[in-house]
Amino acid sequence: MTDRRTIGVFASENDIMNAIRVVRARGYDIEDVYTPYAIHGLERALGMKRSRLPWITLILGLTGAGLKVWFEYWTTAVNWPVNVGGKPWDSLPAFVPVTFEVMVLLAGVSTVLVFLGVAQLYPGRKPKRFYPGVTDDRFVLVLNETDASFDLEETRELLSSLNAVDVDERIGEEGR
Amino acid sequence: MILNPSNLKATPPINRRLFGGFAGAGALILAVGLIIDPSSAWANLLIVGFGLVTTGLAGLTFVAIHYLTGARWTVVIRRVPEAMSVALIPGSFLILITVLFAPDLYSWMDGLGDHAAKFKSWWLSKPFFSVRTVIYIAVWMTFGFAIVRASRKQDLDGETSLTNRLTRLSAGFIVSFGLTFVLATFDWLMSLEPHWFSTIYGVYHFAGLFESGLAIIILVIVWLQTRGPLRKLVNEEHLHDLGKLLFAFSTFWMYIWFSQYMLIWYSNIPEEAVYYTRRLEGAWAPLVIANIALNWAIPFLVLLPALTKRTGHVLAKVAGVVLLGRALDLYLTVMPAKTASPSFGFWEIGTMLLLVGGVALCIDYGLRGAAVLPIRDPFLEDSLNHQQ
Repeated sequence: MTDRRTIGVFASENDIMNAIRVVRARGYDIEDVYTPYAIHGLERALGMKRSRLPWITLILGLTGAGLKVWFEYWTTAVNWPVNVGGKPWDSLPAFVPVTFEVMVLLAGVSTVLVFLGVAQLYPGRKPKRFYPGVTDDRFVLVLNETDASFDLEETRELLSSLNAVDVDERIGEEGR
Repeated sequence: MILNPSNLKATPPINRRLFGGFAGAGALILAVGLIIDPSSAWANLLIVGFGLVTTGLAGLTFVAIHYLTGARWTVVIRRVPEAMSVALIPGSFLILITVLFAPDLYSWMDGLGDHAAKFKSWWLSKPFFSVRTVIYIAVWMTFGFAIVRASRKQDLDGETSLTNRLTRLSAGFIVSFGLTFVLATFDWLMSLEPHWFSTIYGVYHFAGLFESGLAIIILVIVWLQTRGPLRKLVNEEHLHDLGKLLFAFSTFWMYIWFSQYMLIWYSNIPEEAVYYTRRLEGAWAPLVIANIALNWAIPFLVLLPALTKRTGHVLAKVAGVVLLGRALDLYLTVMPAKTASPSFGFWEIGTMLLLVGGVALCIDYGLRGAAVLPIRDPFLEDSLNHQQ
């Protein structure tokens, strides 16, 4: 991967969705797409694989539930047996609500944290700002200039013909 | 445009002869049962009546929530819950004759005994009970007819003001439904065991009503999508959202089931616990486990990944499992109050046949009454282009 990228700036959702379809068909390498709001169906248009995040949620949820059942069993039946209404010490139905809550808590909170980590949304990270208008009303398509055969002029013409309002080249990780 | 009018008028491909046969055979079996074994047959008729009524109410609730939340993706599938509301008519009829004329279905009709509270004796008196039953049914029928008629009227004139009118009707329905349905479950089902009580009972039956209602909607939608006029109109996104709703309400059902069970188990008061001791002894216990498996465990595990919710035939199979669970749930609600041990005989087969045939015929009748989707609804375009 080189350090050079071509960006195409679009004025509407429909334009960029169409452009994504065309440049993908032409074999361009799309690094990323920046939009001012979430566009439904964008991840499918980009051909992104399904996130593996649900597996993290599942594993952490099961871990939370398992640990909690063990902890409740240990506290009420092993370490300090408590007689509640003459019920057996290891009365599982009584454990269910707290187990459920801890499962949701651990799965929910850690899913958010893992997501923030994977999406690199943490303090101290240098933001990629390819085009300031993306925080307002512009849709930005970032293409990797993969190899020597990448023709900037040809790409510029292609993007312009797809209603790009601006086409530019950016050098460097921070997109300056 | 895919909205080809001739396509939309196409009759939904439901095999009327088959389901008519089911309903006829079921009705015949239960009619014979009324003569040979009236006690079992009346209890089974109560299950059929309640199953049909809740199918109708589930359809109306779905439509009402659709309007009250301003949901748009549901427009394309709305005619199915509207058609389900037709089941209110035969269901109400069966409920009326059952609760009013069954000779020994409700033991309190011969008096509650010395220990009953004054209020309970007053509440459970036959005249008041009959009047209440008529009021519940009248309220639901009135809203049902008004909602379906307004929705169909919009097909003709496309008046957007009808959407506002339907939103107001839905608000009225939801509020009155919440009150009347809770009382109706107390009257028709909980009073089968008149000394037992549970305040969450109405919510529990609402959970079952909506879960099974979603399962019926899914079955019909998948059917209309694969074989009928909704092909190319209903897409994976609609199925995915319906699957999420089924998943959510399946879990909600389990949540309420456990909420009721745990409080009674914890306090362990004989007059409350008797409901579960009766259902957890002998041959009833495996049925309670099966009830939980069919209504929650199987749908929960199968619908957990996104892919199964987006695949029509998998979703339809899960819906079938849920509906089997619904029949078992109603059986476990009514029968332990009537017999010492479970039996699956002629009358139960008649109940299943009449329920399946009755629901199918009602939906078929409802779908034939109008275009298969609301062609002039202002949000139809949004619904057809639905993406998550």
